[in-house]
Amino acid sequence: MITVQVEGLAKTFFDEARGAIHAVDGVSFECRAGAIFGLLGANGAGKTTTLRMLATILRPTAGRARVMGHDVVAEPEVVRRSLGFYSASTALYPRLTARETLEFFARVNRYPRERVGARVDELVERFGIDRFESVRVEKLSSGMKQKVSIARTVVHDPPVLVFDEPTVGLDVINALEMQEVIRALRAEGKTIIFSTHVMSEAEKLCDTIVIIHGGRLLASGSLEEHRRATGKHYLEDIFVQYVREGG
Amino acid sequence: MVDGGGGVLGTLYRYELRMLLRDTRTIAIAVVAPLLLFPVLILLAREAERRREAVIERATYRYALTGTEEDFAYYRVQEALAIEAFDPDTAARPPATFLHDRSPNPDSLVRAGAIQVVVEGLAADEYLRVRARELAERPGEDSAALAELAELPEVPVLRLHYRTDSDVSRAAFERLQERLEQVRRQQRDSVYRAYGLAIDLSELGGLEARNVATAERETGALLGVLLTPLLLFLMLSGGSIVAVDAISGEKERGTLETLLTTAARRSEIVAAKQLAVVTVGIVVTVVNLANLFVYIVLDLIELPQELAVSIGPLSLLVLLALYLPLTVLVSSGLLLISGWAKSYKEYQLYFLPLFAVVFLPSLAVLLPGMELSSAIALVPVAGVAVAVREVMLGEIDWPFLALAALSTGGAAWGAARLTERALSTERLISGTELDQADLAGGPALFPRRVLRWFGLLWVVLLVSSAWAGESLGLVHQVLFNVVGLFFGGSLLMVRAYRLEPRAAFALRPAPAAAWPAVLIGAPAALVTGVGLAEAFQRFVPVPEEVLRSFGQFLGAGELPLWQIVLILAVIPGIFEELAFRGVLMHGLAPRLRPVPLALAVGAIFGIFHVSLWRIVPTAYLGVVLAAVVLLTGSIYPAMLWHALNNLIAIVPVELGWVSEDYDLPMWSYPVASAGLALSFTLLWWTRRAAGKMQYVGTGPGGGRP
Amino acid sequence: MAESPVLILLGREFRSAVRERSIVVNSILIPVFLYPLLLWGLFTALTVVEGLAERARSRVAVHGVPEAHQELLDSLRALPAIELVESTTVEDAERRLQAGELDLVADLEAAGASSPGLAENFRVRLLYDRSLERSRRARARAAGVIERYRKRWLSRRVEELAIPRAEVVGFRIDPHSVSTGRQLGTLVLSEVLPLFIVVMVALGCFIPAIDTTAGERERSTWETTLILAVSRRDVVVAKYLYVAALGFVAGALNVIAMFVTMAPVVAPIVAQTGEDFAFSLPALAFPVMVLGTFVLALFFAAAMMILAAFARTFKEGQGMVTPVFWLALVPLLFGQGSESTLTPATAAIPVANVAMMLRDAVRGVYQWPLIAETLAVTLGIVVLCLLVARTMLRFEDFLIGAYDGSFWRFLCERTFGRGAASRRRVGRALT
Repeated sequence: MITVQVEGLAKTFFDEARGAIHAVDGVSFECRAGAIFGLLGANGAGKTTTLRMLATILRPTAGRARVMGHDVVAEPEVVRRSLGFYSASTALYPRLTARETLEFFARVNRYPRERVGARVDELVERFGIDRFESVRVEKLSSGMKQKVSIARTVVHDPPVLVFDEPTVGLDVINALEMQEVIRALRAEGKTIIFSTHVMSEAEKLCDTIVIIHGGRLLASGSLEEHRRATGKHYLEDIFVQYVREGG
Repeated sequence: MVDGGGGVLGTLYRYELRMLLRDTRTIAIAVVAPLLLFPVLILLAREAERRREAVIERATYRYALTGTEEDFAYYRVQEALAIEAFDPDTAARPPATFLHDRSPNPDSLVRAGAIQVVVEGLAADEYLRVRARELAERPGEDSAALAELAELPEVPVLRLHYRTDSDVSRAAFERLQERLEQVRRQQRDSVYRAYGLAIDLSELGGLEARNVATAERETGALLGVLLTPLLLFLMLSGGSIVAVDAISGEKERGTLETLLTTAARRSEIVAAKQLAVVTVGIVVTVVNLANLFVYIVLDLIELPQELAVSIGPLSLLVLLALYLPLTVLVSSGLLLISGWAKSYKEYQLYFLPLFAVVFLPSLAVLLPGMELSSAIALVPVAGVAVAVREVMLGEIDWPFLALAALSTGGAAWGAARLTERALSTERLISGTELDQADLAGGPALFPRRVLRWFGLLWVVLLVSSAWAGESLGLVHQVLFNVVGLFFGGSLLMVRAYRLEPRAAFALRPAPAAAWPAVLIGAPAALVTGVGLAEAFQRFVPVPEEVLRSFGQFLGAGELPLWQIVLILAVIPGIFEELAFRGVLMHGLAPRLRPVPLALAVGAIFGIFHVSLWRIVPTAYLGVVLAAVVLLTGSIYPAMLWHALNNLIAIVPVELGWVSEDYDLPMWSYPVASAGLALSFTLLWWTRRAAGKMQYVGTGPGGGRP
Repeated sequence: MAESPVLILLGREFRSAVRERSIVVNSILIPVFLYPLLLWGLFTALTVVEGLAERARSRVAVHGVPEAHQELLDSLRALPAIELVESTTVEDAERRLQAGELDLVADLEAAGASSPGLAENFRVRLLYDRSLERSRRARARAAGVIERYRKRWLSRRVEELAIPRAEVVGFRIDPHSVSTGRQLGTLVLSEVLPLFIVVMVALGCFIPAIDTTAGERERSTWETTLILAVSRRDVVVAKYLYVAALGFVAGALNVIAMFVTMAPVVAPIVAQTGEDFAFSLPALAFPVMVLGTFVLALFFAAAMMILAAFARTFKEGQGMVTPVFWLALVPLLFGQGSESTLTPATAAIPVANVAMMLRDAVRGVYQWPLIAETLAVTLGIVVLCLLVARTMLRFEDFLIGAYDGSFWRFLCERTFGRGAASRRRVGRALT
């Protein structure tokens, strides 16, 4: 099932000195349920801007994007309700406890009120938050915060999950844990959009890899398809070749 | 299955407050500390004042006698001191001790502070001689003063020498003077009695004033004036505690992006935060008012008069209806700057300007003759402040009350919409600044710096005219301001930012049709400007004296006509245009679309004319000239227009064709408006004929694909 | 030879300061722009108020003017600010006054008198509404006219009765201030300047002190600084000198800006009161003022930095330092008044002693032993603060930001609860 459709999406920033900057320049792709869709690109390639447009934080300059059939411009609230967004820059409220945080996000995302308690209990157990569920977030270690953050992302049980460079700044153990979580979510049938600049992660996780550079989409396909198209084995080499050709 | 919007709003609101309550340190510093600190400060200040007064009161004053009529002075002072010592009505204040000092050369002792007062007894003619000598030493004084003195009856004079810069000397002088006046009155009354005027003088043509206002009404008037500014102050500072955290704090902690990816609407987020700001603002206000009440009960603050509050239920309702939009405006304003600021620190920078913008209009209630049934009802905050005073006086004028509430409510709504927009503005959310101007430097940086430069020019203008304005004379002042400051400053900017002079000064050829347009437009714009200024003076009248002194200044030097034309018309025409419609407009152009650009250039040009009543016509001229440059793409027509404008304004008066207070006939305004319209139609047509916007690099729209 | 690390660090601090918006605004832009702006605002407001007051005409109803006093009516009519309004009776006029249609009702009546020659005596009753500003002004305007008329009438009576004026007057009193313009100017300056310098230096230190400590923690540059190949003492000295220098600059700039803007404008206004003020300072006052500003900057920089050093964020730092600012102002309340000077006792109170020293200097009073005491006391406190700072730097838990950002908790735990609690904190902060 196609859950996310992006057609010719573009974002232009205006700058006094340089004039127009095309951060994202006509990107199109589609994502399916139960699959991990990887956006691969260097820093500043336009990954975050694309994902932010999907999450309706930014408004596209041109093009269309639909999440679960809802347009991001026309129905931003509905889109956000079916979407969980995780990134290094989505922090947690320091003065709420772990449990309160989950309750807050469940309710703000319009999760049915009578089921909020049960849903939070479930997540607290699943992510092992029970040890510190009544400690304020400001006192938690970074590993604990990460757990709460992931739980926060999925608390309203959205069909589409966006992970914007989720492993940045995590240690090996935590990064692996994150990969496990993402795989588990795929197994549950979620659509997962995942951006990274770490090649090995993309190789391991993604069902579809899209290479994005300079705001343009250079190639799209599974790892095998990319290998066949370029004749290279490692994703690193594949990426560099695409960038050279495209640049 | 989905929760309603109210549920989300409620959740956001509750968590917002919960998080604030857990921030114990902020609450302690912002709410509790002032409550504890202020009584301490008040008590200390009172104690300090009491001590200071005690020092002065307890002092033993030393005085000396001197002068040709020293004996006369001696007896009068003795009488005065007798009153001081035995007068029954000084019960509240213990009688002061005066000691007679007999040292020679008392004057120098006063100067040295060793004694406090010297009483010099002088015969009338001697006194006149002394005064004449003093006046001769100070040429600034009026010689009429001396003539007036000579008119007075020939009686002895007691001169009291004292020092105004010494508290003790001043206190001694004031007491002695008061007592001597009493001596004088007693003496006078006995003379009247001796001549048969046996009546208390206060009964002659006695003046008695009776206040018809009830105590309730007076309290209402006092409260009506104080209430709005006080509440605004408390609301602004109280609401700020939440507002700073509400958006800019969230940005700083990175939680804003999390919040924005939830299903809550932007409007719900803003509304919830606004409710939180209002709640805390009201709580802090109530706590502070209660605190104030406690001070009053404890006598820490003394009240000016008997208070008798009586507000009817209707007035109370009206007050609430008036304060509701004001409260919303305060919270919207606070959230707006919180939305624009990227960090806590930045919020604080914006707070003071916001405070000024919201708080100062409420002082309109203090303006003399200000009544609600005027244009003031249309000014947000000011209208409500004036309305509240009238309601407190029991005057309810429904249409204007509604107008005042609507204007403030409208401003609140506008601010709330802007805040919502700030939540969707990329630059403001994502913190990543696409700051290419810093990389490029030079001309690219100029648009961001141009206002700073003109601000500096304005300060120099103001300070230099304060120091040297009067003494420089017209010619030098114009040369200094227009050529030195405006043109010199412009050249500096062009150099510092490596601007291309032709573009920066708009030195481009003008289309031929522009010239007739200028010839029609310049007089027409002048007349319409005069009309506008007169309309403005209906609202903000100018004191006669200000108008007179400006007229005198312009006509001050008896210069030959050609010099007047050169100084007041040609030079400003050239150099002011280069600075304002040249460099300033060039700097602002990349940031503004044409209409706001013309308005901004005009407003800045007006502010450079400093005094309020000149701002309106000059700003108007500035807008018109900016439009001329925008339409023709060239500075030259604007130069001619400006010079013609000044020429027509000055020359007929200088040549004595018309008098200075000549009023234009009413028919001239519609005629001039038509002329102006014609002129701009011509300019518009040349622009259309050229097929494009002439002024290169105009507006963010112009540069966009 | 290698450059002194303190100088390199100091240079970096200053470069960041110049690029930090809140510091630039508070230390440079406000002094440059605020005073001219204030001045302009004040003048504009005054012009508006004056214009509005001039325009507002007072509506006055006059009743029962005795035949002999018609002249009074003429003088009221002659005043453009007064508009005489007809009304049928006094009661009617009073009703209209209460309805806001009139501003003042003047009710005259013949008073009669026991003395001969005063048969035409009269009494005036002014009815007004004290709650209304326009009514109060109407009363003042009318009362002025009536008072002048009353004097004229009285002196005419005196003339008619052939009472010699000289006897009536008796003698005259002529107040004569021997203060020179310079003394008056000195009085104003001595009240304003010290207060202003203290406040401005404190404000000038405020943001830099927080920015260079708590701000560094917030930006995570604190650890970058700690791993530099320079001693911690050098780091602290550089930061301290930087804060003190900015405080000094802000104080000096503000004083100069205020003087430059205000002096030419305030002087003529004051001159209208009949006194001529001359603002000038004795030559020796300048070095004393510079010295005073300097030790104040050293003092505030030390006191504020110690507290701000515990804060983890800029906001926290601000909360901790604000009380210092208020407390520093308390001593200023005392020791005011033109007669008080520095005494051995007041010279021992921090901040207040410097303020009084500055005031003495403005007035040309130099009590060198007491100045020395003032400087010694202030510098003593500074040294004490620096010692505390040095002790603090020995604790690792301070360096990594334990104690919940509170100086108070640091004191409590270090003096009373040594051991477990703070070690736990270290553990937590390190994970």
